[in-house]
Amino acid sequence: MKTAVMLLTTATLALSAGAAMADTSGKRIALSNNYAGNSWRQAMLKTFEETADKAVADGVVAAADAYTTSESQTTEQAAQIQNMILQGYDAILLNAASPTALNGAVKEACDAGVLVVSFDSIVTEPCAYRIAVDFVEMGRQEVEYLSERLPEGGKLLEIRGLAGVSTDDAISQGIHNGVEQFPQFEVAGAVHGNWAQDVAQKAVSGILPSLPEVVGVVTQGGDGYGAAQAFAAAGRETPLIVLGNRQDEMAWWAEQRDANGYETLSLSIAPGVASLAFWVAQQILDGEEVPKDLTVPFLKITQDTLDEQLASTPVGSVANVAYTLEDAKAVIAGAK
Amino acid sequence: MKRSMQIFTRPWIWSWLAAAVVFAMTLALTGADGATGLAYAALSFGSFAAIVGLGQMLVMTLGPGNVDLSIPATMTLAATLGLKVMNSEPGNAMLGLGVALLAGLLTGGMNVLLIFLLRLPPIIATLAASLVYQSVAIWSNRGLRIKPPEALADFATGRLIGVPNVAWVALVLSIIIWIVLERSLWGRWLLASGQNMRAARLAGVPVQAVRAVTYIAVALLASVAGYLLASFSGGAALNMGSEYLLMSIAVVVIGGTSVAGGFSNVPGIWGASLFMFLVVSMLNSYGAGAGLRMVLTGTIIIFIVIAASSRRGRL
Repeated sequence: MKTAVMLLTTATLALSAGAAMADTSGKRIALSNNYAGNSWRQAMLKTFEETADKAVADGVVAAADAYTTSESQTTEQAAQIQNMILQGYDAILLNAASPTALNGAVKEACDAGVLVVSFDSIVTEPCAYRIAVDFVEMGRQEVEYLSERLPEGGKLLEIRGLAGVSTDDAISQGIHNGVEQFPQFEVAGAVHGNWAQDVAQKAVSGILPSLPEVVGVVTQGGDGYGAAQAFAAAGRETPLIVLGNRQDEMAWWAEQRDANGYETLSLSIAPGVASLAFWVAQQILDGEEVPKDLTVPFLKITQDTLDEQLASTPVGSVANVAYTLEDAKAVIAGAK
Repeated sequence: MKRSMQIFTRPWIWSWLAAAVVFAMTLALTGADGATGLAYAALSFGSFAAIVGLGQMLVMTLGPGNVDLSIPATMTLAATLGLKVMNSEPGNAMLGLGVALLAGLLTGGMNVLLIFLLRLPPIIATLAASLVYQSVAIWSNRGLRIKPPEALADFATGRLIGVPNVAWVALVLSIIIWIVLERSLWGRWLLASGQNMRAARLAGVPVQAVRAVTYIAVALLASVAGYLLASFSGGAALNMGSEYLLMSIAVVVIGGTSVAGGFSNVPGIWGASLFMFLVVSMLNSYGAGAGLRMVLTGTIIIFIVIAASSRRGRL
């Protein structure tokens, strides 16, 4: 009797495990990435590689390969997607060079029965899945945080990203929504920092002489440290700079905190979103019902979590989260 | 009257005039208090543009079709390797500089090989090679930002008698290049090759050697610029050079160096480098959006180039 129960249990376990695994163990997943030239994308590729290698070793999928275009051109990435279709991949994870220009290639993939999951820089083609970040909300939360810290308000400096990219418009939109919501603030100046410390440093140095006293700097990530350096070089008092999770920004923050009690907030999208996309694709291939539009939470670092995040982030990289299958299930459940 | 007008026949005067006008227009908004701060920032950031601009100027002097598009990748590679070898440890500044220069020597040498042995057009050769250099930079450090040693960072952001140290470095390099161009045999050879390569060869100028040295010189200057920029901004980033591709060509053209080759203009490079920084600062200060800013920057550049080249044409 006892043995029978045990056998039965084992059989059920094997069956249920089989249901979750067997369906995708023969599947092949490709990552189509348009750009690798900054620390964020490098961290993204690394996290994907780790997740993918483990998944392949565990037999969850048959293959998971990453491909990056060299020039970040839409034509190049469209050709890459077509190649992936020909190579017989079952799913394509896509960090797209353009929200619209790849729609043709994405449609071809869908028509060929290939699953497309776009993330970070998403595509508008309806047949693709989208794992997006609410960048507008991210911008708004920056101003909201400032309003908690500086209730009397004041003038802000806005550092934008790369002109013409949808992410830049979305975050900036959110910041301006925030300023509308908290009218004690006013954006006194805006510069484009291209999400790079040296460019931000240069742009901020150029506009500082024309600015009155600035109480806060709202940023998009990858530009906070450069802004801090520009303020220091100009001999100005460091305002409250919202940071973007880069290790050098966090190290600077910790240094300032120890020296003079500096307090701020850091938020950005974790490069590990690629691993989330991987598990979402795996779930869809597994037959899971998944809504087309998913939202990934952004990674927030506060005064309390600073030390812990700083310790876990490699020097010169960006704070990261490697999403697991459970995280993917939670995100899917949250969107249903 | 005639003498006083003569200065306007100098091709470099237009970039300096433009820089002065833009400077004054920004001050009209900020008041005189902003003058020192703005001038200091312009000198700091203009220095990097000036150093790569000097290199690009030498190459473009070689005549039509000569341009180095691998400057951004060389900057990134030299800075990445330099900062990696220094590993933020004190006393390593010279070692880092040496490694950066070595990286520049290698990329320059590689460009020369592609251009001369494989006879590729310089535009194709340097563009293709830059993909390799960028990939090596990515591979060597996976895009991690390593901080420069503290003493080096202090030097790069410091000042001497009110002028940024990086500007002193750029100034010394400019003077050396100016003297080489105007006074040395090699400089004469370079100008002669750029004016008419065939005539220069027939006159006994070792044209290919001149070209080879020039392509190596530009890579060395780019590696110095990358090393300084990374020390200045707290570490090398994979995209740190991307701004300096168009910048290096723009400062050469605005500075009054002939695109047709054969004429160099060192003072113009400085006027143009300061202008390129100041014009963005001015438009930012006046609150111009990104679109308007780019349109205005482009339009202003076109006008300066027309002014500089039409005056030279009448000579």
